[in-house]
Amino acid sequence: MRGVADLISSFTVQHWLESAAQGHLLGTEHGHHAGEREPDWLLADGTLRARAIETTVQLVVAERCALAASAALVGAAPDEASARYFATQTLDEARHAEVFRQRLLDLGVARDGVEDAVRDAAHPSLLRFADALLERADRKDFLATLVGANLLLDGMAFHVFELLHARHDAPNPKFAHTLAGAIADERRHLRFGESRIATLLRADPARRADVERLQRELSYWVLAALAEEFAQAPPPRAPSRRAARDPGKRAHWQGHDLDALAPGELEKLLAHTVLEEFKMRLARIGVTYQTPVRP
Amino acid sequence: MADPLEKDGAGVDDEQPRQRFVLDEGDFNEVPAKYRRFYRHWRGAGDQLAPNEVICPVCKIVIRSTRELRPGDRVYCMACMTRLRVTRSPSGQLEGECEY
Repeated sequence: MRGVADLISSFTVQHWLESAAQGHLLGTEHGHHAGEREPDWLLADGTLRARAIETTVQLVVAERCALAASAALVGAAPDEASARYFATQTLDEARHAEVFRQRLLDLGVARDGVEDAVRDAAHPSLLRFADALLERADRKDFLATLVGANLLLDGMAFHVFELLHARHDAPNPKFAHTLAGAIADERRHLRFGESRIATLLRADPARRADVERLQRELSYWVLAALAEEFAQAPPPRAPSRRAARDPGKRAHWQGHDLDALAPGELEKLLAHTVLEEFKMRLARIGVTYQTPVRP
Repeated sequence: MADPLEKDGAGVDDEQPRQRFVLDEGDFNEVPAKYRRFYRHWRGAGDQLAPNEVICPVCKIVIRSTRELRPGDRVYCMACMTRLRVTRSPSGQLEGECEY
């Protein structure tokens, strides 16, 4: 069986090209099928459109953070194979930041109003998460940045994207297709992160405590950001009415009927899923999950 | 090797010959084209795994082999490049355990 070093070096630019650029992204336009647009029921409803803009702002903020962290990991990588891999991840994150920014424009945000919209609607806890992660990136702490970016930020993003995809699959195929592409990319990021962190901790077990402290701190901001997101959420409206007319199109995720859940219940389901996955991923690499504590 | 089943779990549940499966071309497009029929998306609650399928615990993609899978087998998930050992859960379903 091949060793982990071989596995890491198998994340080649060629593999990325065949899987992403020539794979799931082939023929797409801003991450979705050419010609798809945001649905009329969303664009015509001011409350729903404003809510969609607020949610998309969080995706832009998270992806910009991931972009900065990934770019820093290229420079901080201790080996050439990891640097090449992070060049591909950097492009993935740049693409995600761009397609979600494009969605803001598609939802009616003026081109010169994007930065104001991001500044006004970004959740404070998401910004605190980004500050804490990018502080490690600035110090060129490869392991800490890798844990924050690939395990925690991408781990959260993976499940947020999955939940959003389940909710929009029937009522908004354009956004669902954009999310599906991002989910595909996150799979690679999560796996590379797990493998690389495992090898680093095997070489330097003394840093296990650092990883546990970082996870405890950053997980707090993850949960706080999710709480801020759902605190603003009105009960689902248009998609639910459509789903009620056509039960076959009701949104399900993790065995739950999403159209039947209140915002607080959705938050609880998402936070539980994110934390359980954190625990399993950490356990696979020999790190003990720490209950989040406000830093 | 194209099939994700890299190594049989020799001696485990081997009394009966393994079933063979013909894999259709699905819509999975997250790996290079020649490998796509070996993977599919998990469709969530209500989805059922066939005897030649196991879920990757890392990326949640269903891995499909041309042969029936059994505990002890080693399979490869190209979607996230994970090597897995197949186990049977208490509920009787096949599961993948990540190998480092």
